[in-house]
Amino acid sequence: MHPLKKNRPLRRIVLASAVTASGLVMLLALKPHTAPEIAAAPAPAPSSSSSASAGSGSSSGSSGSSGSSGSTTTGTKTVTGETAQTRWGPVQVKITVKNGKITDVTAVQSPSDNPRDQEINSYALPQLKSEALAAQSASIDTVSGATYTSDGYRQSLQSALDSAGL
Amino acid sequence: MTTTLAGGRAARRQTMRRIRPRRSPATLLLLAVWAGAVGVLWMWWHNTPSIADQNGKILNAGRITGLLAGYLMALVVLQMARVPALERRVGSDRVARWHAMSGRYTLCLVFAHVFLIMWGYALQAGKTLSDIVQQTIDSVNQLPDMGKAAIGTGLFLLIGLSSIGAVRRRLPYDTWYHVHLLTYAAVFLTFWHQITTGNDFALTPIAKTVWYGLYGTVTALVVWYRILTPIRLNLRHRMYVEAVIEETPGIVSVLIGGRKLHRMGAEAGQFFRWRFLAPGMRLSSHPYSLSAAPRPNMLRITVKAIGDHSARLRELRPGTKVWAEGPYGALTSQRRTRGKVLLVAGGVGITPMRALFETLPGAAGDITLLYRANTTQDLALWDELAKIADERSARLMYAVNSPDGERPDISADSLRRKLPDIDNHDVFMCGPPGFAQSVYEALRGAGVPARRIHHESFEM
Repeated sequence: MHPLKKNRPLRRIVLASAVTASGLVMLLALKPHTAPEIAAAPAPAPSSSSSASAGSGSSSGSSGSSGSSGSTTTGTKTVTGETAQTRWGPVQVKITVKNGKITDVTAVQSPSDNPRDQEINSYALPQLKSEALAAQSASIDTVSGATYTSDGYRQSLQSALDSAGL
Repeated sequence: MTTTLAGGRAARRQTMRRIRPRRSPATLLLLAVWAGAVGVLWMWWHNTPSIADQNGKILNAGRITGLLAGYLMALVVLQMARVPALERRVGSDRVARWHAMSGRYTLCLVFAHVFLIMWGYALQAGKTLSDIVQQTIDSVNQLPDMGKAAIGTGLFLLIGLSSIGAVRRRLPYDTWYHVHLLTYAAVFLTFWHQITTGNDFALTPIAKTVWYGLYGTVTALVVWYRILTPIRLNLRHRMYVEAVIEETPGIVSVLIGGRKLHRMGAEAGQFFRWRFLAPGMRLSSHPYSLSAAPRPNMLRITVKAIGDHSARLRELRPGTKVWAEGPYGALTSQRRTRGKVLLVAGGVGITPMRALFETLPGAAGDITLLYRANTTQDLALWDELAKIADERSARLMYAVNSPDGERPDISADSLRRKLPDIDNHDVFMCGPPGFAQSVYEALRGAGVPARRIHHESFEM
């Protein structure tokens, strides 16, 4: 455009705003709502934990209680799920099962490398816990803004449930 | 003291080589910029597997605007790095206009980014839009490099406000300029949070490398062309004021002496940014065109005393040191595409036209100069122009207001009457914006294609 052609600033502003806004909307709309399956499987533990026995082969060197039933009195047991490796770090949950119902879920490991992770998990983890308790399964919704943590949580939770035979 | 005009003949004595116009690289540059933007957006696309809900949309909109703003900001600074490829091939005035437009757009992106990200964070934490201020304060305190970014953003706000037309017109030029220089600080301060807090940079190390590369390159170019090159130029050529001549009341010529001035590679039609090392003028730098072909030991500028800076030129004492940066400008004979040329000058726009009139290669009758001024008194440098016209059989026309103050008729018809083959001319123009606009329209009406109308104006 020749610099001397009558420039209509208002038209330019409207055009630029419209193009930017519609570009943004389009980009955001084109993204799916749920994450595609996270290819990275959790730690290469053989999923031999198909058997009902204690099987959480967590390859993380976390504290000894790599799975298995705690006390068997009155049918309460704690099971730790496998560690799910997410982009932001590992996620591992431990569930408490009483009489066949999940009564507690604790995050044994969660991403905590930088302050942002900690900030996110401070509200995401409680939310995921209450969802899990409500759903009594690993079919829980992703927490907005904590996609990876939610996915890792689900995976670890599912493996714990599998181990617990639920 | 009369200025010698003999040098012009020498410049023209070269036989008319085949005229090959050099195309402006503007389109190519624009393509490269868009390609970069696509690359940046792809970076976001690649790092975002999904967007869960409305909150996620807002957060990601914040990230996209942030990425684009970071990318464009580097380009905004690059445009003002005085890279010769831009200044001389695209044209200083055109680059300055691009800079103004892209600067405004980028600042809007910055503010949109801040708003959207803070809103997104607030929503994530279960709060609402009304908590956005508190969320901002928290994020600034907690996240890495956000304190710097906050200060930088504040500076951007100041710079943006000072550049709004209504505000800028009220500020003295130097005040506005020094506020604007703070952009360097603002860019420096806001750069770091992109790398350390930016979602997309945490995920892909190569993105960090690219960003450092981009900003590092721009920094290097700024240092080289805005700091080192002028230092070298001035140490080598050591310019000073040789004489000040009053051409007409209100119009002053300054003769600049120095060493090997022709080695600076200045061409007729170009300008330098001048800084006179005299009390009260040291801090300001102004662009003035050369009003005669450069000689080995003399440059001349001709200035109209409009602002407070130009008025002080009259009082310059011979021997005053001069700090110059340049040459800049694309209004040179290289833009020419045809044998016949029409030069149109309005008021003090005669300056570059006078230089071109002297040096543009052309046979008898090929070059025409139309000089528009308010009264015949204001036709500065007229005697020289008449002499040049005589020597090289070029045509010289003037258009002034009638004694009753009526404006001359410069329209498509009158132009065609004066120059029947005007549509076969290249036109070079320089003058106040209103004048340039109306002449442009007249020329287009007379059948001159837009690509043959070459013009320089610093109005933004």
